[in-house]
Amino acid sequence: MSSRSLRLGTTALAGLILASTGAASAADRAADMAAHRGGTMRLVASAAGGTIDPMINYTSQYWQIYQSIYDGLLAFKHTSGAAAFEIVPDLAEALPVASNDGKTLTFKLRQGIKFSNGQPLTTKDVVASFERIFKVSSPTSGTFYAGIVGADACLKAPADCSLKEGVIGDEATGTVTINLVAADPEFFFKLAVPHAVILPADAPAKDVGTEPIAGTGAYKVAAYDPNTQLKLVRNPEFKEWSVDAQPDGFVDEVHYDFGLTEEAGITAIQNGQADWLFDPPPADRLTELGSKYQNQVHINKLMAYWYAPMNTNLAPFNDVRVRQALNYAIDRDAIVGLFGGTALADPTCQILPPSFPGYKPFCSYTADPGEAWSAPDLDKAKELVKASGTAGQKVTIITEDTAVSKAIGTYLQSVLTDLGYEAAVKPISTNIQFTYIQNTNNNVQLSISQWYQDYPAASDFLNVLLSCASFTPGSDASINISGYCNKDLDAKMQAALKLANTDQAAANAEWSKIDAAFMAEAPVAPLFNPKRVDFVSARLGGYTFSSSFQWLFANAWVK
Amino acid sequence: MTAAVVLLIVIILALAAPFYASTIAHTDPFRSTLTAKIVVDGKRVPVMAPSTEGLGLGVTPIGPTFQAQYFLGADTQGRDVAARLLYGGRNSLMIASASTLLCLTLATLIGVVSGFFGGTTDMLLSRFLDVLWAFPVYLLAISLSIILIAQGISIGPITIDSGSLALPIAIIGIIYVPYVARPVRGQVIALKKSEFVLASTGLGIPRWRILLFDILPNVMTTLIVFVPLMMALNIITESSLSFLSIGVQPPDASWGTIIQDGQALLYNRPVVSLAPGIAIVITVLALNILGDGVRDAFDPRSKLRPR
Amino acid sequence: MITALIRRLVEMLFVMFGISVMVFLIFFATPGSDPAARIAGRNASQETVAQVRLDFGFDKPLPVQYGLMMKRLFVDQDLKSFVNRGQNVVPQVIEATPVTLSLVFGAAVLWVLGGLAVGVVAAAVQGSLLDKGLMVLALIGVSMPVFWFGEVMNLITQARLHDTWMFSWVPALGYKPLTTAPWEWFKTLVIPWITLAVLYIGIYGRVLRANLVEAYQEDFIRTARAKGLSPMRVMLRHALRVSLIPFITMFGLDFGVLVGGSALLTEVVFGLNGIGHLTYTALLNLDLPMILATVIYAAFFVVLANAVVDVLYIFIDPRMREA
Repeated sequence: MSSRSLRLGTTALAGLILASTGAASAADRAADMAAHRGGTMRLVASAAGGTIDPMINYTSQYWQIYQSIYDGLLAFKHTSGAAAFEIVPDLAEALPVASNDGKTLTFKLRQGIKFSNGQPLTTKDVVASFERIFKVSSPTSGTFYAGIVGADACLKAPADCSLKEGVIGDEATGTVTINLVAADPEFFFKLAVPHAVILPADAPAKDVGTEPIAGTGAYKVAAYDPNTQLKLVRNPEFKEWSVDAQPDGFVDEVHYDFGLTEEAGITAIQNGQADWLFDPPPADRLTELGSKYQNQVHINKLMAYWYAPMNTNLAPFNDVRVRQALNYAIDRDAIVGLFGGTALADPTCQILPPSFPGYKPFCSYTADPGEAWSAPDLDKAKELVKASGTAGQKVTIITEDTAVSKAIGTYLQSVLTDLGYEAAVKPISTNIQFTYIQNTNNNVQLSISQWYQDYPAASDFLNVLLSCASFTPGSDASINISGYCNKDLDAKMQAALKLANTDQAAANAEWSKIDAAFMAEAPVAPLFNPKRVDFVSARLGGYTFSSSFQWLFANAWVK
Repeated sequence: MTAAVVLLIVIILALAAPFYASTIAHTDPFRSTLTAKIVVDGKRVPVMAPSTEGLGLGVTPIGPTFQAQYFLGADTQGRDVAARLLYGGRNSLMIASASTLLCLTLATLIGVVSGFFGGTTDMLLSRFLDVLWAFPVYLLAISLSIILIAQGISIGPITIDSGSLALPIAIIGIIYVPYVARPVRGQVIALKKSEFVLASTGLGIPRWRILLFDILPNVMTTLIVFVPLMMALNIITESSLSFLSIGVQPPDASWGTIIQDGQALLYNRPVVSLAPGIAIVITVLALNILGDGVRDAFDPRSKLRPR
Repeated sequence: MITALIRRLVEMLFVMFGISVMVFLIFFATPGSDPAARIAGRNASQETVAQVRLDFGFDKPLPVQYGLMMKRLFVDQDLKSFVNRGQNVVPQVIEATPVTLSLVFGAAVLWVLGGLAVGVVAAAVQGSLLDKGLMVLALIGVSMPVFWFGEVMNLITQARLHDTWMFSWVPALGYKPLTTAPWEWFKTLVIPWITLAVLYIGIYGRVLRANLVEAYQEDFIRTARAKGLSPMRVMLRHALRVSLIPFITMFGLDFGVLVGGSALLTEVVFGLNGIGHLTYTALLNLDLPMILATVIYAAFFVVLANAVVDVLYIFIDPRMREA
């Protein structure tokens, strides 16, 4: 997943502050519930996140909210830290039984669950929901769910999508069987993200836009207007069935207001008028938050990295020496400073983020190669540029129109000038930058981008961002921004994906090697791994940060 | 008079920007200096200071030192604000002058052709101006900027790079054309009906001679009145576009871009946006006073009121 | 008279049509604007993008797309945003209108009163130090970029002096509806009103003073003064009356343009989600349906204001009927 206007970021690991409090016992939770239940929580964001349709929306802003509105067959555990990577049964009674070499998965639905509109949940709803993924052309329909039997036909003709071979419901026994074309070790993750939630069978087979669809979670959407407010109230039909998969919430209502600037949002929280701000705090307020309000600030690592993709098909970056030179020359400490300092980001020179599956620390592009980045090696960089004979060429850096992205672009421009290039920065609107830099027709040489995990698997970074299949020349949807296609590494990634079916640990070891192999070719310049700053009101308690979907609002109280 | 002197000082200061940067401040105003340290009051301090309080969030650029280096402090890239202010002034003044020239040329062309030849030409040109005119100028400027700044432009053999200063010049030059072309057209029509032109026509003098020797000189006085007022307006427009980050592109500076850079520092280093704003007010004020003087000298009734 | 009005109407329609076509073409000339890929979402497969393209009709020729979009905007009124999917653009524009109206209306009251006061006082004491001082102040008002002045106001009222008695009453940025919280509405808008009005007070004050000074040269004023009418009466009853014609014209045009969205810089600086802000974000997002709706709306007000002023002229000034 990429980040749109910093709105799309998902996921993080290891809550620094509250890492240990997640393991609160059931008794503690009951006591907290008795003491703190009720009240209205007020969240604010500068803008809404688009459609409310959970099968279409692909923003971390709403994925975070969907956690307590909708359920899939499986879910990421609602808890703090890395334990949130664990998959737990949600609408299914238990994790599925796999047969037929992992190609067939059988789920048994929990009994007695009702949607917020009063309808009972049946296997029909499950079958219809999987077909709906294709009928509404969900963004991930062709990537996450293409492995379901019959999906290829559904992708070609979404309107008549039928998965009668792929997803089979048996009403009598309350079981659902999913048939896959090939075993997929990451399929559980794909079932636990919001695009695979179960909706009523009669949900419209088109993007519902601002009309909410009924769900099974602890809350339901009472009203949604992208210009003013998203209002959540308790789901009257909800009875807690699994505190791990769908915990009951503390507050009675959630009012999520849109249209307040970040500055105004921070001020509102300081004055106790709001409880939490979605957007990252503006840079000039950080110092104040870190000193005067440090008890209300929570900082957590995100499973993400900021990087500079270099177009390997255009001069000068079609020369590996130039790509390596830029990697050597970047002062990652300086860039961390632009992001808000060492408390908010860690420099990196590899693709996988720390504590991610397959992560093994290494850094070759530093003054003192080893496990971590220490300082830029400008001499080496200049040598490489000289050897390549490309000095004096023009380079344009495409950045987003946000303060941080622009600042990093301006810094890179400075670095490239030092290396002898004629460099320019071009910030373009955040909303189009991401597709603009992907399209080869725009001849983008160098850009700034971010990648946030969808689910915890190394392939979500390496295979998604750098496989040959992710590169489609002339298309706005070509997520391999560097246009880097290495057949050899592609084969290795396919092998690692297969290996994961039988031996996850061995597969992860393979991914570490692939990470290093890519960095040797340097199609990208990794910059840093960001951290999430949550500034909450003084009255807010029970802050829990999940590595999968960030702050869990249902676990927090305001009374 | 004071106005002219003030204006002259601003121009000289702006022209002296490279001298100031290289000889006095010893800094490169277009290079990020994020890790440098400088000496202030005998102490070595970082240009970009990370917070040491509490959780240590945020990095704050150095404030005004009131010495040769970083006289007005640093911006988010650790660059010398004072040096950038002078360089920015150069660009702001350059863009304002060039776009004024462009606008007046285009407007005269359209206004004279339309007014002098009348008929279908006039109808087509006037309708085109009507469409432009109903487009609130900032919306027009933003629409043009977004498309041009994203990709640059190439018409025939001329190619303008997306980062080029020629783009804001062209955009600002174009958007005010209707505001000047209309009065010019009106004046030409009035002149055409005036006795001396009618007399010339009666004498059988060719039309191009009438256009060149009777009409144009008269239009010129109107144009001269427009120059300072137009420049004042263009400086403000340039800064507004740059403030919305669709004017001058980084790392180039203009007063508008510095205000925009300073917005991210408004809370702790307000001087970064205050200084260029004050520079704009002084310059535009001087231009407006000058404009009043010129107008009184040439034509006490003409008015320029674009919105 | 009737034919003139009809001609005006046809012209208005033509101008609005021209603008919508222009906007439409600008949109399709912009790189990276392929709405299909943006609507499909990140990491979407090529099949999904192709499907979205088909659903939204992006594969049709441009004139057909234009026609469809206009039909959905005006006839069906169900034109939906590309960015906030499912969001109808017409209600968005309707929702933003009161914000802009509140801002512009309040500012207009301030600038008309301020402009009148500055112009009348300066003309009355023409040539004195007070006159010069007022004119310099007015010029400073004209010379300040409105966004910068707004920022300075924010800096003072929201940050530097916010904790003092002077500005502690200033609420956080953003709009509060008049109907539900009239007092809050007033408090949040005071600073934006002043910011927006300063420029116009400068312009109107200067223009009014110039016109008054000119009027004093006219024969009928001289006669009135010779008759021994009090200076106050001459000023208010006679001179001001003739001088108000250009004042009203300017007001009509400025008001129309501002309501049409030209207060955008003020709206952006103060976080008011009015028409200008809506247009600006739509332009940045390349959200074509929203851009079309807002720009046509803006053009409507500009053209309407022009027409109203023209018609007023015909009534006020018989000489204009010829032109």
